Amino acid sequence: MNILIPHSWLLEHLQTNASPEEIQKSLSLSGPSVERIIHQDDEAIYDIEITTNRVDSFSVRGLAREAAVILNQFDFPSSLKQLPTAPANYPVSSLPVPKIINNPQLCRRVICAVIEGVQRTPTPDWMSKRLKQIELNVHDSAIDITNYITHDLGHPCHAFDYDKLMATGGEIQIVEAQKGEKFTTLDGAEFTSVGGEVVFKNAQGLIIDLPSIKGTHNTAIDENTTNILLLLESIKPDKVRFASMTHAIRTTAAQILEKRVDPALAEVVIVQALRLYQEICQPKAIGQIADEFPQLAQPTTINFPLAKAKQYLGVEIEPMQIKQILTQLECQVDTQAEDTLLVTPPTFRPDLETPVDLVEEIARIYGYHRLPATIMAGQLPLNAPTDQHFDREKTLKLLLVHLGIQELYTYSMVSAGLAESSPYSLDQHLKLLNPLSEDKVYLRRSLLPSLGEALVQNPDHPELEFFEIAHIYHPEKDQLPDQQLVLAIASRQSYRRLRGILESIFASLFVDRFSFKALDKSGAEIVLIGQDGGEKSIGWIGHDPANENIVQSELQLAPLFQLAKKYPNYQPIPKTSPIIEDLTFQTPSTVQIGELIETIKQHHNLISNVTLKDIYQRNVTLTITYWDKQHNLSNLDVRPIRLSIVNHVKSKQLGELIGKLPD
Amino acid sequence: MQNSPTYHPLIDPVAQELKSDLERGIKQDELTQKYLTKKGLFNHLADQMKQLSIEERKSFGQKLNQFKTDLELAIQQTHTSDAKQSGSQFDYSIPGQQLNIARLHPITQAIEEITQIFAQLGFVRVRYPEVDWDYYVFESLNMPPEHPARDEWETFFIDTPDRSTNVAYDVNQPQRRHPSLVGGGKQVLTTHTSNGQVREMERVGGKPPIRMINIARCYRRQQDATHTQMFHQFEGLVVDRGINIQHLKGTLDFFAQKFYGPGITSRIRPFHFRFTEPSFEVDFSCHICAGTGQVNGDKCKFCKSGWHEVGGAGMVHPNVLKAGGIDPEQYTGFAFGWGVERTYTLRPGLSIDDIRLLYSNDLRFLTQF
Repeated sequence: MNILIPHSWLLEHLQTNASPEEIQKSLSLSGPSVERIIHQDDEAIYDIEITTNRVDSFSVRGLAREAAVILNQFDFPSSLKQLPTAPANYPVSSLPVPKIINNPQLCRRVICAVIEGVQRTPTPDWMSKRLKQIELNVHDSAIDITNYITHDLGHPCHAFDYDKLMATGGEIQIVEAQKGEKFTTLDGAEFTSVGGEVVFKNAQGLIIDLPSIKGTHNTAIDENTTNILLLLESIKPDKVRFASMTHAIRTTAAQILEKRVDPALAEVVIVQALRLYQEICQPKAIGQIADEFPQLAQPTTINFPLAKAKQYLGVEIEPMQIKQILTQLECQVDTQAEDTLLVTPPTFRPDLETPVDLVEEIARIYGYHRLPATIMAGQLPLNAPTDQHFDREKTLKLLLVHLGIQELYTYSMVSAGLAESSPYSLDQHLKLLNPLSEDKVYLRRSLLPSLGEALVQNPDHPELEFFEIAHIYHPEKDQLPDQQLVLAIASRQSYRRLRGILESIFASLFVDRFSFKALDKSGAEIVLIGQDGGEKSIGWIGHDPANENIVQSELQLAPLFQLAKKYPNYQPIPKTSPIIEDLTFQTPSTVQIGELIETIKQHHNLISNVTLKDIYQRNVTLTITYWDKQHNLSNLDVRPIRLSIVNHVKSKQLGELIGKLPD
Repeated sequence: MQNSPTYHPLIDPVAQELKSDLERGIKQDELTQKYLTKKGLFNHLADQMKQLSIEERKSFGQKLNQFKTDLELAIQQTHTSDAKQSGSQFDYSIPGQQLNIARLHPITQAIEEITQIFAQLGFVRVRYPEVDWDYYVFESLNMPPEHPARDEWETFFIDTPDRSTNVAYDVNQPQRRHPSLVGGGKQVLTTHTSNGQVREMERVGGKPPIRMINIARCYRRQQDATHTQMFHQFEGLVVDRGINIQHLKGTLDFFAQKFYGPGITSRIRPFHFRFTEPSFEVDFSCHICAGTGQVNGDKCKFCKSGWHEVGGAGMVHPNVLKAGGIDPEQYTGFAFGWGVERTYTLRPGLSIDDIRLLYSNDLRFLTQF
């Protein structure tokens, strides 16, 4: 949360001669981050980020208190000023405060006072100037004092119209709302409770305030108000948060009071608020402060071993200096034993609960910038996970890019349309409960629709090819989804090229046993063959069913990488030469080329390779390699094999030789 | 082409002529016309086969085939330009062929670089799930359910039923609600790579040393010029005996020098995360103004203050170590977690005006990398 603090306002609480730049630098190094200084009307205004655990600094005085400690460390003598006291002997009002029926389980303190006969004066210039500097609207003094004091001292307070409140029966019950109770906030918005919100009710059960969050219309100040009840409460922070989040009423008061604000602060604040009403609104009389504070929770004393500081900082800090830092932060420090301190934090530091919390205080005030930097020595872990293969992913990506295929990263969440373009129906996808936009709702089960969309977005590249390596998400009952790493490629080029790319991938990973099994119309299944001969289907290649100009493939990488190697099984280079010849066959239209090639390959053990050289209509030219690793073959050896190939192909009705066999 | 082409006495003269034509830089279309057309030299050679005896024909035919292959290849490799020849000079000013260059995505490039730097310090790269239990993303990181600290992350929730048994959350013993013990829990898209911290501690059986670098996709409910719903983070975690803040500083300095350049330093300032104590915000010094905030007396435009904020870090909170089965009295650790996109684009020349371009499939963007 950010807070704006004008420099001159800060100086009302902070005695220092440090300049704004020096304050910014020191604070940011040892405390809250001063993100920028705004220069406005010859004045510096700090824009400071206060972390959620330090609501005690979320006010001018709270920040001044931090600054005093830090600036002293940076050799700018500084101190926190005393608060002003109100002139005494002001007329005391005899108007009664409402009867308060508190539930200590819900609320730790209620403190209030009546302000009788308030003059509705305009907000004084000095106050309206400051309110504008901190970007708050200016109303009139009676309302603005509550906003001003909240910013100044850090405890929100509420001003009720006293007469409206007393007209509801003169009683405030602090209870949890039931479900279905209606209330209207002071700006006219209507709400219905869900049950569990802490509210103020009258004896008849009417909701008369949403404490720590926003006032209700029925007790709100209006232009006719002359008597005010000023009230501060300390409701359990998680209850404040619950009500505020449930109804999405995120006022500054709620954002402050949902964190652990010190209940002790309420008394300081009400006294200062009354002082301001006295000075600015000159009421007829001010009632005595009524305080219900049954539980003063004592902060837990922490046993702090001095060795902890050295353990975390790596340097020895003098015990004297440690004590001094903690004392300046208003901790009570006693020496327990030679090496242990008993540290009781102040009530405004509920975030200090354990020794390591104190380490942070000591270290930041001492100065992180004063610590040396060294790289750790020690044993290196040798236990990389065995189910990940980052080096193989890298090899794969480089290969694809060098083949001219552009890498993409597309969103894991897709629209209904893209999800339905996958092989799975919409209800077979995991989906987000709270998507941000309609086009990113379903966790995809295929990358191909996203890649197809990317091709469409780039229409002017007729040879464009994309790939992506990412996870897809297969739902599992009562478990996390199976998050599979896949490679997907979408291409405007030919099927033969894409298949060649896959075959290059397998070659680069030294995976040499695989096959492509044609499925009926849509494409081919990609099958890897393991050491034991077992087959595993790892993916698919084919045409985009929606667009025959696009070929696609998607394959699972885990099984591929399991079989992959980093280096081959080296084969000594044969001392003999192969004979390489072409044969052309005319094949019937029912025959698949893959089958023809396989048939020839399997036909004789001296046939070491058969590749497709050319296709023209139904004429297929194959290049056949004959190789005997022991002896050099001659035409005499090859001639009978050649002949038997032709006869075999013909007998299986796979094709007829075109042309004549060489002699 | 062999230097001294020898195929067959009938073929060799043609091969020789081809060789000298190539040396003279004769254009491809002229060569094609001369050698490969119906009335070209090759077909003329082929016709001469009739004059040979049956025995001679076979070897001639083989050699002819070989020559045909060589001839076609040689002609294919000549340039096709229409550039005028000045005499017999080859024109070296001719532009290169347009080869198809594709790129690794900038995120891949960034991840690779980051991984390599930490590998030098013995870090082990891992990748933990994107859809994860609320337990690993928040609860085991010292963040109770409904805690305001969770607001910062704008979480995406998965629409799956939570069938876990209802065990009360105890901030000192979050493991009581471990998904394996209570039968699941809420599932979310992880908002940060910090979900890897306790997972890594479990993976190594609670036995340091740990030096982990977890890089994965993360998700937050925000989309604008500086945020995308999906982004990448890298998370470092070091746990061992005697690890202290100085080691974090040393590691940060090492990364800064390697990634941004020599002389770049790091700085840590107080911050707050529930899962670290102390917690820090990390800055790197600006390479343009050397961390001074000034260039020739004017404010440095790139950094404004001398420093760039890169992300968060801290000493691992004892509750997180305990959740991972590690004794915080014996071991300490530090962690840091930053956006890959942000870290990468802090480099000179890489200030990308709109981060959504990274996931836009726009070739005009992607091919610049």
